[in-house]
Amino acid sequence: MTPDDFAARLRDAPLLLDGGLGTLLMAAGLAKGSAPERWNLERPDVIRQVHRSYVEAGSDLIHANTFGASPPKLAAGGLAGRCGEICARAVALAREAAAGAALVAGDLGPTGLLRPPLGTASVEQMRAAYAEQAAALAAAGADLLSIETQYDLQEALAAVQACKATGLPVIASLTCELKKRGAFTIMGDPLVPSLGALAQAGADAVGLNCSVTSPVMLDMARQALPALTVPLAVQPNAGQPRVTPEGVVYDADSEAFARDLLAMARAGARLLGGCCGTEPAFIRRIRELLDAPGALGSSHA
Amino acid sequence: MGQPEDILLELNKAVLAGDEAGARELAGRALGAGIAPLAAIDGGLVPGIGEAGRLWDEGEYFLPELVAAAQAMKAAMAVLQPALAVDGGRRGLGRVVIGTVEGDIHDIGKTLVGTLLAANGFEVFDEGADVPPSRFVARARHVDADLLCASALLTTTMSRQRDLVAAAREAGLRAKVCVGGAPVTQAWADAIGADGFADNAVAAVALARRLVGRDA
Repeated sequence: MTPDDFAARLRDAPLLLDGGLGTLLMAAGLAKGSAPERWNLERPDVIRQVHRSYVEAGSDLIHANTFGASPPKLAAGGLAGRCGEICARAVALAREAAAGAALVAGDLGPTGLLRPPLGTASVEQMRAAYAEQAAALAAAGADLLSIETQYDLQEALAAVQACKATGLPVIASLTCELKKRGAFTIMGDPLVPSLGALAQAGADAVGLNCSVTSPVMLDMARQALPALTVPLAVQPNAGQPRVTPEGVVYDADSEAFARDLLAMARAGARLLGGCCGTEPAFIRRIRELLDAPGALGSSHA
Repeated sequence: MGQPEDILLELNKAVLAGDEAGARELAGRALGAGIAPLAAIDGGLVPGIGEAGRLWDEGEYFLPELVAAAQAMKAAMAVLQPALAVDGGRRGLGRVVIGTVEGDIHDIGKTLVGTLLAANGFEVFDEGADVPPSRFVARARHVDADLLCASALLTTTMSRQRDLVAAAREAGLRAKVCVGGAPVTQAWADAIGADGFADNAVAAVALARRLVGRDA
């Protein structure tokens, strides 16, 4: 897919993304602390099934299981040197599950490398890691690339540059928290100017994902939208994970979540999905709301 | 700025600004001016790192500024510590064994807490990430730790904190067990019988001081 095709597709209608992957894999028995990317090789049936559940729920785009498939991240999880193999397998599984009904995005999460003073990595090392993963995802046939959960603007910019070199459309999403002075990444990058910088660097869409629940992300989206020159993607968490003696529970209410997502779409967000704790039921409900007549109001109809 | 109070003021500023070289140099100058090492710590480092923590709470400082301030404090401490030993009194607030639980490789938060604890006068033994309960316990016993701090960043690895509390109790350690990490809450800490919980690095220092009975 070319960036122009992607822009045209987003002008036509909002694009419904998928929801959380990790939560479903854990429910399917992914061992504690084990890299989800390992299951592309060891449990392809489960990965395919999770993707299919989102396609059946109405996702127009699904993310291949490659969030942690950058070379440094894989090395930390005992999978050094297997970026190409894992990205190829993951994209193939997503493609089979999509069966022509959904786009397949290669997913790129943070490398885990940290710049001074927190670590010793350079932006150049980060760029090299993203370049290897982006090339592997492009070679595997991904339709586009989705950079997610970025908490350091400099790392995110390096990721955009590396991904743009493949010629595929690129979505770049930051993860921000609400502080007294506004929304920032943990490194202190302010939300609105940072999204602008990502667009400036060539991202075809910019976004927000993880860290916050849908009501908070709705506020952030309303702040960001007036200043943006490219489409906005929103993927909030289902609810804060709450730990009970019995285990982890997400305070998940798919109806309230879907209504917040519809409100974001009405405010102008064009890519809608969920992050941690969201499941196919959430996506299905957003699909129903979006498909209802006049869902986006008269100005967007 | 030959006056002792000027030097301490500059030292505080260097810590707050995360100026590692400046803090190291000013610590040396403080000793040269005849300031007692303990007075240099109390007057030149503690207010600076405290202000950095306050600015972080306020959303003025972020992780890089907070970590840089802690590192500047550590650099100054490295200069003051040998003088402290000569001076007779070791200020050590207590010994802390810290790590991220088994199965979890996230160590930013844990490292930040360890750095701040060290900067605030604790002797910190950082076991790194992916630490099994047996290693936590063995190290705590070896160093006669006052505190055992365990971080878990994943909802899937939190349960290892429960295992750690159980292992520490079974081993009869005197160390108090503290837990933290993104998904961890006070309710979870209570449920697993931990002695303390803090939801950020600044709060962790206050918690540690309280647990060793050195609440300032």
